This record gives sequence, C-alpha cells and structure tokens, in this order.
Amino acid sequence: MKILIIEDGRQLAESIVEYLGKEGYHCEVAFRLEEAIEKVMMYKYECILLDITLPDGNGLTILERLKEEGKMEGVIIISAKDSIDDRVKGLKLGADDYLAKPFHLSELSARIGALIRRRNFQGSDRIVFEELSIDAQAQLVRVSGNALTLTRKEYNLLLFLLSNKGRVISKNAIAEHLSGDMTEMLDNLGFVYAHIKNLKRKLNEAGCGDYIKTLYGFGYKWQK
Amino acid sequence: MTNKLLNKTLRVYVGFSVIVLVISAPLFYWLTERLYIEDADETLFLRKEEFLKYNLPTIKTIDINTWNNINRDVRIEDSWMNVKRDSIFYTFYFDSLINENEPYRVLLTPVVIENIPFVLMARINLVESADMLKSIAVLFCVILSALLIGLYFITKRLSSKLWLPFYTTLDQVEQFELGKDVKPDFIQTDVEEFTRLNHSVNRLLEKNLSAYKSQHEFIENAAHELQTPLAVFQAKLDLLVQLVPLTDEIGDILSKLNDATSRLNRINKNLLLLSKIENNQYAFMEQVSVGDLVEKQTEFLIEQSEDKKVSVTIKRIEPIKINANLTLLEIAISNLLLNALRHNESRGQIIIDFHQNKLTISNTSKQSFLDREKLFQRFSNPGQDGGSGLGLSIIKKICDLHGWTVNYAYREHLHIFQIVF
Repeated sequence: MKILIIEDGRQLAESIVEYLGKEGYHCEVAFRLEEAIEKVMMYKYECILLDITLPDGNGLTILERLKEEGKMEGVIIISAKDSIDDRVKGLKLGADDYLAKPFHLSELSARIGALIRRRNFQGSDRIVFEELSIDAQAQLVRVSGNALTLTRKEYNLLLFLLSNKGRVISKNAIAEHLSGDMTEMLDNLGFVYAHIKNLKRKLNEAGCGDYIKTLYGFGYKWQK
Repeated sequence: MTNKLLNKTLRVYVGFSVIVLVISAPLFYWLTERLYIEDADETLFLRKEEFLKYNLPTIKTIDINTWNNINRDVRIEDSWMNVKRDSIFYTFYFDSLINENEPYRVLLTPVVIENIPFVLMARINLVESADMLKSIAVLFCVILSALLIGLYFITKRLSSKLWLPFYTTLDQVEQFELGKDVKPDFIQTDVEEFTRLNHSVNRLLEKNLSAYKSQHEFIENAAHELQTPLAVFQAKLDLLVQLVPLTDEIGDILSKLNDATSRLNRINKNLLLLSKIENNQYAFMEQVSVGDLVEKQTEFLIEQSEDKKVSVTIKRIEPIKINANLTLLEIAISNLLLNALRHNESRGQIIIDFHQNKLTISNTSKQSFLDREKLFQRFSNPGQDGGSGLGLSIIKKICDLHGWTVNYAYREHLHIFQIVF
C-alpha cells in the first residue's frame, strides 16, 4: 500500500516513513509543494499525509488539484497550525481527517489504518486477528464467531491496539486517543489501566488469547 | 482619603481669604478710627486757632456767658483746672436730650481774657465716628464675603471647565485595557500642559501597545516554532521505544520522557489557545446549552475520577441556553472540571451546580485557601500536579471575552469556582 508523505520537516518525515514502513506501507516523501503535485498527478496512493505549511506554498492547493483532477485519494492533514479555519477549510476541500502536530506515530498509524479500511472495503470494513474479528462498519466484535459486548471506549482501545499490532504503544498515546480534545488538561493516566484491565478480562472471558502485553511503567503492546 | 484637585485649590483659596479677612478687619478698623481722630484733632485745633485769631482780641469777660450759651462745642471755662498748655483727650459728657453718656474728643487751651486766665474747651462728639466705623466694618464684611463667595463659585466653574480635558483624559486612561483594540481618543485642548499630558500618555500607551503586541506575537511565534521540534521529539520517542528492550528501568525513564513531552505539548497548545483567543479567532457566537455541555463532560469526569475515588455530584442543571462560542465554553468547562479533579484529594468530592445563570463547581482539596490575586495569572500555580499552569488564565480569558465573571471562594473546606454568565 502506497502512502505519500508531504511534509517539509525532514526529521518528522523520516520518522513517519520508518514507523509506517514497519507496518508494511510503502512510503514516498515530498518536501515541497511542486514535488508533491508532480507525484500526486503521476501516481496513485492509498493515502496522502499533507502538511499545510510548505516552503513553496499552501498544502491545501493539493486538495484543490486533486478535486480538479477527479482523484479520490484519502488525505489526512497533519498541521502545526491547528486552527479551526484550516481544519474546516481542509475538510471542506475533501480531506478525510485532520491531525494536529505533535502527534503520536501510533495515532497516525491508527488514523491511516481506519482511512484505508473505510475506502477499500466499502460496506464490509473488517479486521481479523486470529480468533478475533471486528466489523468496523457495524462496530461489532466477535471472538470465534461469538459476539462480544464492549463499551465504546473499550472498542476504540481494541481497534487502536490492533492498528498498531506488534508495536509498543505508550500510555500517553492511548490516553490521548481515548479522550480526544479533553486531553488538553489530562495528566492522570490511571483510567488507561482501568480500560485495559476491563478489555483484557472481557476478551479472556470470551475465550480470546491474551494478546495485550503490559510493558510495566510504559505502555502496552498487541502481540501474538 | 483622597481629595479632588478642585477642592484642594478651593480650600487653599478660601483659607487664604479667611486669613486676610481676619487680619485686615481689625487693622482696617483701627486705621479708619485713627484717621477719623486725626481729622477730629485737626478740626479742634482749627477751631482754637479761629477763636484765638478772631474772637479772643475782642471778647470781654462779661461776654463769656453769652458765648457759652451760643457755642456749645467751643466754650470758655473757668480756669478750675491747672491747664498750662494744650491738652487733647477723650471723655464722656452726659447728653440730657437722649439721656446717655456720649464720647467726646476734647481740646483744652489756656487763654487770658482781660488778664484773667480761662480755659478754652473745644470738643467734638465722636458718636458719629463710631456709627461710621460700624457702617464701614459692615460694608467691609459684606464686600469680603461677596468676594469669597464669588471666588468660590468662579473657581469652581472655571476650574471644572479648565480641567475638563484632564478629567476626560483620566477617564479614558482608566477605561483603557491592553489587548482590547480600543485606543483612547483625547480631546483637543489649547492648554499647553494638557496637550503635553495627552501627548505623553498617548506615546506611553502606544509603546505599551506595541510592547504588548510584540510580546503577544512572540508567544504565538514561539509556540508555533516549538510545534515542529516537539513533533519530531514525540515521533523519535515513539520510534525509540520500538527499538530498545523495555526493561523496567528503561521503561520508567521513557515513560517519564513521554509524560514530560505530553506536558510540553499541553503547555504549548494552551499558549497557542491563549494567543488565538486574543487574536479573536473565536468570534463566532451561537446559542449553547450549558447543561448539555456539562453533562457531556461530566461523563468523562466520572470516568477519570474513579481512580481517585472522587465522587461527582450534579446538584441542579437548568435547561438554559446562552450566547457563547461553543469551542471556548467547552474548554472553559472542561478546564474547570479537570482542575476540580486534579487538585482533589483521594475520596474527595466534586459538586456541580448550574442555577440562575451561574455555573458553580466546588471541590475538596488538600490545599487550603488559594491566593485570589495570583490565581488567574499565567504559571502562578507551579504545576506540581501536572497541569499546564495555564488552565485558569484560559478560563479567565474566555470569561473576559464573553463578558462573564469568574469568581473564587473557599468555604467549608471547599474550593468554589463560579462562572456568572
């Protein structure tokens, strides 16, 4: 799966490439607007990560060009500006998601995963891991075919862990993912532990293997 | 107690006038009286000279009675007193007509008529002079009073007119607030001092405004610039944890690094938020239900509070909508609620109440009374509890923007924060 990263910060771009590369994505990087437009016009990508402030122009131009050309690439805006205007403008111009810098790579990975699933499997957005299967469209979790009832937070947590399988995810990243905008003030991460505990128990009771590894003091990892 | 400038000048004027009046009135009286007596003395001597020149050479001793009958005030008396030379003095004579003793100025001169010594007595009634003096004193008082009263009113009127530009400037400077785009507009005046004052105040304000603006821009730019390295730092940290073996020790260090990064992010985001509020980027207002917002956030709060075993109670929620910016109101409420939780103690409580346009959030805490003065300033409460140190100043800013007030009180071991919409 090909992903285009349009980002002028080389360090950040490299980190994204490295993280996503290990998830099996094939990443290309464009540091400038001109370069980006060229690539977008020539190739087809599963997903485009778009920084708005580029040295030679506004990243939103890409969205306009994509629209003009009738291209349907999924676009996630990654911006340091985080202004409401840009967010609204970007989403209006056809971007699928908006992620404010700085972000956790695990969060980015989860967003890309969700975007690609939504676009590729229209109608049946399904994730399968061993005996576990998730219908993301219907938000339904099954263990060996039996439905499992999870709270919204537990469901989000499960999806987040699965989107980053095999990777170490920090408590902070999980906390931010689960609480959204409310993390502005958040510093007590105890609730992450509580949710993980509940999710583990429910999966266990449903007969699912224990895939959530606790890395004491740091975070968690979804591993077979 | 402070005095108004006007009253101060007036007081000095009136004080001075009273002193002048008190000193000058007796002086004036004494001077007038002396002048009158001098005048009387002169008249008496004139009469004596007249008598000596025109009457004495012709008068006979037998005429003395007749003379005395005709001239009541220039009389020839027996030399019963030992008068050797002119003597002038005050005395009283009984006036049978009005049955009263009357004051007189008297001049006695020895004269010789047909070789017999006599005394010439010339006198002037001083009653008239006393009356006149009284009239003069009264007149003097009336004039001075009129002068004083006039002075008072003229000063008062003139001063308030004269000082009008000053008071206008004062009012405007008082109303001036940094961060609000209203620059004072001073009235033109032809008084040099006021023109100078206005000019200086204007220059001062402009300097302040530009300093404020550049500080403001600096914060915004700094926060923006920090976003990129922060993003790199965060990303590299995320990569690092994939590479190193996460022993307890390394995990702990990395976890603390992560916490610090999160906190940096929060501070930075909040700085940007403050800048954005000041830049008026949240000008869009709509009808917002406070109750809905509170209920939505309480759900999250309860989930967060489980860890600390803090009980969350909603007392009253009125279904009232207010005009506000949704994003900002949401931030204000979530900051208040999370503050109430963050500074709470284990097994403490949070009470939420929205009643009569007042949102009150009370919480228990290990801390006692907080310094009201510093409470809403940036970074005034060292963020030992992991806060960004900006939460309350953001709440204050949001309230200021909407024209709400935010109050703090400490009662019965409860910290009470209240927004009055």
